[in-house]
Amino acid sequence: MVIAFVRTILLYLLIIVGIRLMGKRQVGELEPSELVLALIIADLAAVPMQDFGIPLLAGIVPILTLLCVTMLISVLSMRSVKFRAIICGKPSIIVENGVLHQREMSKNRFTVDELMEELRMKGYTDISAIKYAILETNGQLSVLPFANQRPPTGQEMKMTPQENGLPLILINDGRVMEQNLQSRGYDRKWLEKQLRTHGAKEPGEVYLLTADERGQVYFAPKEERK
Amino acid sequence: MKRVWVALCILGILFGGTLAHSFYMEHFVRELTTTLEESETQAEQGNWDRAAQLTQTARERWEEQRCYLHITLRHSDTDEVYTGFREVAEFIQCQEGGEYSAANAHLIAKLELLAEAEQFTIENIL
Repeated sequence: MVIAFVRTILLYLLIIVGIRLMGKRQVGELEPSELVLALIIADLAAVPMQDFGIPLLAGIVPILTLLCVTMLISVLSMRSVKFRAIICGKPSIIVENGVLHQREMSKNRFTVDELMEELRMKGYTDISAIKYAILETNGQLSVLPFANQRPPTGQEMKMTPQENGLPLILINDGRVMEQNLQSRGYDRKWLEKQLRTHGAKEPGEVYLLTADERGQVYFAPKEERK
Repeated sequence: MKRVWVALCILGILFGGTLAHSFYMEHFVRELTTTLEESETQAEQGNWDRAAQLTQTARERWEEQRCYLHITLRHSDTDEVYTGFREVAEFIQCQEGGEYSAANAHLIAKLELLAEAEQFTIENIL
């Protein structure tokens, strides 16, 4: 059993390193080559993990090979548009100026139900309100409505709303995030003042406290446990 | 570009390593089978002591590489070869001509198939 334990740790670490090298997109939206890699890698790792009669090398060599080949493919895809089109495919325009491209849909085996579902998820129910609906290479549908169907932007309304910037978490479930506190330019005294203002005595009583770049504070006290 | 070179280097090392392994296996198995065939010739001539000595030499050679072979080959295959050596040694000790001949041929075939399975050939790829 100790063999299974050690092998599991080794292969697990190897896959984590591989996935980290692939970048964050690997976790969420997968390109075809990445999806294949994810599917094969899991299978390759599982076999020597379960069958002790197969050498560990029989799992490590193919996984390393796959990772290196994927690395080469991703670099070549970045450098050559043609190569990228071969490996990842091209985006398909499904709706153009409110008109469905049925041939493109059948080419991508994309059903009307799937299209309607995707449109609903993005808040659209009327196809005629859509300027472009594009099926991206990672399988996601990008929807661009007609200009008159888009919510107006501040710029269009000639407004200049203030930027609040990114709110940083200063207290997370009772724990003070010292690094965030310092990077926002505050100290413990400021934090204690904020706690007093919101009726708290110590950070342990706070569930969430954030501050944005303009110094606007969001405070959520801890709920009392029943 | 650095990542490409790193990936190519790792691929090169893996490819070179696996090729070196297949060449080594071919050479190693040829050495063992030659010894085992010589052992059989000696047994046919009635030199059972010499046959036992040669088989023991082949077995010791296999044992020397046991760790490497265990890491690179399927464990069931290495176990089978080990069993084969023990079987052949017993038949030599009992001086059972026919049984020894069959067991030795089986062991040689097993070793040859092991090496063949590691070779970089189109048959193995397909």
